[in-house]
Amino acid sequence: MQPIDAHALLSPWQPGMLSLTLYGVVVIALTLAILFLSRWLGRHQPNDEKLRVYESGIIPTGQARLRYPVPFFMVAIFFLIFDVEGAYIFSWAVASRPLGWAGWLQIEFFIGVLIAGLIYVWVKGGLEWGPKRD
Amino acid sequence: MNYLLGLIVLLIKIAVMLGGLLLVASYLVWLERKLLARLQIRLGPNRAGIFGLLQPIADAIKLLTKEEIVPTAADGFIFRLAPAVVAVTAMMMFAVVPLGPDIRLFGRSVPMVITDLNVGLLFVFALSSLGVYGVALGGWASNSKFALLGGIRGAAQMISYELALGLSLVPVVMLAGSFSLTAIVDAQSGVPFIVLQPVSFAIFVISAMAESKRIPFDLPEAENELGAGFHTEYSGMRFGLFFLGEYVHIQVLGALTAVFFLGGWHGPWLPPVVWLMLKIFIVALIMIWIRGTLPRLRYDQLMALGWKVLIPVSLINIVVTGAFIQFAGFS
Amino acid sequence: MSILTLLFYAIALLIVAATAMAVTRRNMVHAVLYLVLSFFGTAMLFYLLGAPFLAALEIIIYAGAIMVLFLFLIMMIRLKKLPGMFFPVGQLLPAIFICAGFLAVSSVLVGGNPEGWTPMPAAQASPAAFGVYLFQTHWLAVEIASMLLLVALVGAYVLGRRVRGPSADTRKEAP
Repeated sequence: MQPIDAHALLSPWQPGMLSLTLYGVVVIALTLAILFLSRWLGRHQPNDEKLRVYESGIIPTGQARLRYPVPFFMVAIFFLIFDVEGAYIFSWAVASRPLGWAGWLQIEFFIGVLIAGLIYVWVKGGLEWGPKRD
Repeated sequence: MNYLLGLIVLLIKIAVMLGGLLLVASYLVWLERKLLARLQIRLGPNRAGIFGLLQPIADAIKLLTKEEIVPTAADGFIFRLAPAVVAVTAMMMFAVVPLGPDIRLFGRSVPMVITDLNVGLLFVFALSSLGVYGVALGGWASNSKFALLGGIRGAAQMISYELALGLSLVPVVMLAGSFSLTAIVDAQSGVPFIVLQPVSFAIFVISAMAESKRIPFDLPEAENELGAGFHTEYSGMRFGLFFLGEYVHIQVLGALTAVFFLGGWHGPWLPPVVWLMLKIFIVALIMIWIRGTLPRLRYDQLMALGWKVLIPVSLINIVVTGAFIQFAGFS
Repeated sequence: MSILTLLFYAIALLIVAATAMAVTRRNMVHAVLYLVLSFFGTAMLFYLLGAPFLAALEIIIYAGAIMVLFLFLIMMIRLKKLPGMFFPVGQLLPAIFICAGFLAVSSVLVGGNPEGWTPMPAAQASPAAFGVYLFQTHWLAVEIASMLLLVALVGAYVLGRRVRGPSADTRKEAP
């Protein structure tokens, strides 16, 4: 733990949180300004035809709230699991030098389990997208 | 007084950075149209000004004065929010990119970076994972079938390649021993990391291009199947913000490639900022070139490339690099 | 009151407000967005308390991965407006019970230890220090976590397969 100095934290000369906050505020203000400008300059003549959903000239039928196909949901779950594992790998990577060979062996095992999971899903066909080839 | 002076310097720094970002973004559009036209044996924009150089200004005026349509069945709040999310996350990523070494001004050293976080790399990573919301929500809120399909495809593609992107940067973190982008650039004062980590570099560039949803990874907006994909229903400046986000994102990718693999602002003879801009420009040119030459991938090919090639290769690369660093560390 | 204390309360207020909005929204997608805002606040709080690494992970994993999963889930089950009471009694009672339990436990923990009241000096743990601590002290827990994640992966795949069903390949709307 290194002590932090509230003065340095709020000094505009330091590349710290204050400058990031200010940058964020300016970016958001700029985006809002662009949106406001276009609202102010643009014309507004809505009618039913114009507000209808565009489907290349065909009058839309039914709702667009169709159900997400399950494979996409599986990808989101795999992503979540691998993302958590990525967090561990990152926390090792930044300290890989001080941790030495012991740390390498530990992460080696960790990545080994990760690859085993990937291979399991792969062999079982969880990563297949195209139509099945029998 | 000193505080005020610092604040003014900081505001000028932010203004120059954002101004440059937007200016280069608008001229990247011009450059892309011009180069694509040449690659397809056309002329490209040539009416507004000499060589069509005023075309970006004409485009901006046109986008600003167009009518903004919100379809009847759309979710108004989220529909308006989504383009802003894309543009803001892209611009925010630039906050941690170091433009050069500290300079002296008014007897003080002024850092040439907005903020030097000790988790800078993760900051970029977090913002790019938030960029997914812009695509998924934009597609969902439009209440249009094309837009929804584009949004689903885009979200699944972006999260898949985010993994490969993150894992490809692990060796860079290991070599630099820090997440700070400034420290990563400093670690490359001798040898740029592309020499030590060519595999990582290749994975990073491929997955970064997939993150940007450009050809050959432009399935979310595949025009011959989905209209314009997730932004089918957007018009006027809201469409413009999606567009702006894309071209700012190209610059961010160029800057990140430069920072992580090409030595950042390091380079002989020329001033550091020029070197960084040159590297960004080269990456952008290559991306435009690729757009002009490659066909689009099929969705199963896209997913197979991400999950079956890039992720396993980057994991193995991490293990090998780790062993290599331990060997080198003992000598 | 120092500036950091003020910031703490401001961020805490943001978190409470965002979470309250998330709980009371009827539109599930809006609820997810407010929850993302709440995670943002939590990340800021982590940063303020000197844990920048955790702050970044909070956004990457919670806001960037778990909430995207929620979004997918909401889009997968067809959205419909729920009729009837806003808080059904069956859900309200356990919620109150858990809240009361949490309040009791935390007041015992905070009140029982007088040292817990003394403010600590502001400090920050660098990511490298965090990594060294995690892998030197808790490496076994990390390995067990990898096993847990493997089980989660297999379980998710098996469950997801069952949902997919036999008619998946013949569905017309496959994009």
